[in-house]
Amino acid sequence: MIDWLNDNWILLIAPVVVFLAFCIIGLWARRVVYNRLTELMAKSGWSGKEVLVHTTRGPFFFWFVLLGAYVALMISELPEAGKDIAVKIVASIFIISLIWLLIILSERLLTLYSEQIRTPRPVGKHLATAVRVAILVIGILILIDFWGWPVTPIILLLSALILIALVASRDAILNIFSGFEITAGRLAKVGDFIKLGSGDEGYVIDIGWRNIKIKSPDQNLIVIPNSKLVKETIVNYGYPLKKAASSFQFYTRLHLKQLTGLKASNLLELIEIIKTAPDAVIYYHTYHFLEEHQYLTPEPANDFALWIDDSLDDRVLAEKLANIDTLAYFSVSTLRTALLLVLEQHLEGHPELAKKSANRDFYFIKSISFVLPTSYVATDLREFVEVIRNISIGSLYYHVFESRLRLKKRSNDFSVWIKDSFGEDDLADRIDMLFPYTYTLEALRSAIIEQVEKRIK
Amino acid sequence: MNNAVANQFTSRLEDYQPIVGKSSIDELRLLANRLARKSVQHVNSTFVGGGVAEILSRMVPLLNQLGINARWDVIKGDDRFFDITKKFHNALHGRKEQLSKEDFEYFIETNRKNFDVLWPSADYYLIHDPQPVLMIEKKEELGGKWIWRCHIDVSQPDMNVWGFLDDYVEKYDAAVFSAPNFAQNLSISQFMISPSIDPLSDKNRDLPASAIEAVLNKYNIDPQKPMVVQISRFDYLKDPLGVIQAFEMVRKGIDCQLVLAGGAATDDPESAKVLEEVQKYADGKKDIKILLLPPGSDIEINALQRAATVVFQKSLREGFGLTISEALWKAKPVVATAVGGIPLQINDRLTGLLCYSVEGAAYALKQLLSNREFAERLGRNGKEHVRQNFLITRHLKEYLLMFTALYNTSDIVYI
Repeated sequence: MIDWLNDNWILLIAPVVVFLAFCIIGLWARRVVYNRLTELMAKSGWSGKEVLVHTTRGPFFFWFVLLGAYVALMISELPEAGKDIAVKIVASIFIISLIWLLIILSERLLTLYSEQIRTPRPVGKHLATAVRVAILVIGILILIDFWGWPVTPIILLLSALILIALVASRDAILNIFSGFEITAGRLAKVGDFIKLGSGDEGYVIDIGWRNIKIKSPDQNLIVIPNSKLVKETIVNYGYPLKKAASSFQFYTRLHLKQLTGLKASNLLELIEIIKTAPDAVIYYHTYHFLEEHQYLTPEPANDFALWIDDSLDDRVLAEKLANIDTLAYFSVSTLRTALLLVLEQHLEGHPELAKKSANRDFYFIKSISFVLPTSYVATDLREFVEVIRNISIGSLYYHVFESRLRLKKRSNDFSVWIKDSFGEDDLADRIDMLFPYTYTLEALRSAIIEQVEKRIK
Repeated sequence: MNNAVANQFTSRLEDYQPIVGKSSIDELRLLANRLARKSVQHVNSTFVGGGVAEILSRMVPLLNQLGINARWDVIKGDDRFFDITKKFHNALHGRKEQLSKEDFEYFIETNRKNFDVLWPSADYYLIHDPQPVLMIEKKEELGGKWIWRCHIDVSQPDMNVWGFLDDYVEKYDAAVFSAPNFAQNLSISQFMISPSIDPLSDKNRDLPASAIEAVLNKYNIDPQKPMVVQISRFDYLKDPLGVIQAFEMVRKGIDCQLVLAGGAATDDPESAKVLEEVQKYADGKKDIKILLLPPGSDIEINALQRAATVVFQKSLREGFGLTISEALWKAKPVVATAVGGIPLQINDRLTGLLCYSVEGAAYALKQLLSNREFAERLGRNGKEHVRQNFLITRHLKEYLLMFTALYNTSDIVYI
């Protein structure tokens, strides 16, 4: 080897000098070209300029080195066969570096653009992988072709695989494109409160490449495929409203009737039993009665008035009892006193009615109440109004009517929460002023919704 | 529960959502979650025929859909046993029946032979009506909560029979009656749970106009003329002659037609006699049709109720009278006598009209036929009253509440 170098050193000088010259020119050219390029880019508004400059700066010099190696090989005195192989290796390194550059550049540009065009969360990641694979495959095919090996069968195989993959994942593809439509078309974004034609509603908590996730007011997680969502009618209420200091937990109250064995067949017996019956009995015939007859407008006020009208045929006394405003009393015992006052006063004026037999007996029933939390929780007025649309009559009754017994004042749970949590005194007062007797519970529900919607629109 | 009965019921709980609302179904699930993995056994004396079997055939699958392990079994007995229980039934309704000491002993013996139908470890045993009442003797051995579900009116019983049954009933944890006026004074807790109708059954589901028309054509009924309908078996207690008399009073001033339709009770020899008497009484009277419907005529009954202008139920004595709820569910104005469970379904002048006499019935009928707006309002209210109080979902809810109440003694239970 040393002997060969001693004999032929003159043959190596030229290629080495050429190679080194190209390296020096490469360093110089990179400085000039990139200084100029930086100046030009500074004037352009293109947001990908920094990515382009930073990504290509390294390979630019490397390509000059490769060019130097190529020219050096061409002028060298190597045998033709060896020279061919060396040139192919240099060219292959160039192709590989080009593939590497394209992959890096495309990933960086995709990251940049996915932020700008709001792609669904993991879509950017999956798209980058797809582009990387595509460039890699094309690069490998070019390399194979460059070395003279056959590529047609590989291309056919790849085409068939791509076709199969497309057919198999057509739903996923549809969802991905729908995801773009949702985000790019701004149909919804994370944090929005949306309502769909299907009735599903809630805050958007995630938009993925296949589906959108919504948290409903009853704390359920609803997952809807993107392709299904874009076909729905969507009402987007936008960002959440002011959050309450403390959330509103909706309760419901259910009732079971227990027989007491007590019955009255005339007015006197009715009075005597009302005096001593447990609170849960008086509650049943006054409060629960209202709930049971909520579909009537105006509602008959209480069971006693209805029985006296129906079975004792005493319209005057029935009217007097009906005029007792159940909701004006903040305890069952004061309501009981009010009922007895009317009954006893009437009996004093009409003693002949005391033992007048009724058409049918009045049976005293006790209400066993079951209070249980529902899955509905409201943290702002938008959630509140949507929950009001969905809660049961029992829940509405519990918070609007029975609240008076708990709060000991002429108000309701909703007004108290709206006042305490948002300082919305005006809205709270308007809900308080809805006079429940003049509505069915369904109409009362609509009236509350109307008041709140007026405020949050 | 036998497969034949189970397979007949194909409704899912979700199917009731459009009728009672999502919130009602949510409440059922909420309650059932608190009773998850509990087991319930219903025991009665027949899988088919009668209101109890009809309700249980729907109730048990729905309980299972809610995650409660429910089953339904029946006790077996021979003709002699069921003759005795038929006499029990009549005696509890107040009729004097001859029952010997041997009859009572045979009743006890048959009950004890059926102890093997009981599930070894249910959390709740619901024993329906008097036939299997002696199952309570296994309470100590099997544990769980025991409920006697009485579907009949025992307020004025023959004390010979009630005195015998009472000893067993008092051993239960609770009794359930359909109406307050059906109950007895007992030392155990008594709950009031009304029976219910299934809005998805053939008898109550919506029918297309063509199906109604087909039934009217089949029975040659004029669809243009206002129609008064009473659906009930041919029985003196349903007062079919009183219905015809009231109709005749009304027809003098208002052009209308009457349809009296019902089946003949196979276990009641009197039924054929009543039918013959009614046919004879109606003979020659204009615009009256007497229809004897074969068993399984649910669609026909549904169509006749839907085609009616006014529905009558002029019973002299009545059980709960669910035909009222069936008519109200179709938003029909109803005139009915204030007996049995009828006043629970009809609040006079709010959800229908109550009457106490033939004249009262005629007057109420005139009001409804001549004031369409009033009749429609009663029908509307009636439908909402049934939606709120007499559908199977409410029935289901109250059973779930009762299961919870049996472990709580307070008037207000926080769960």
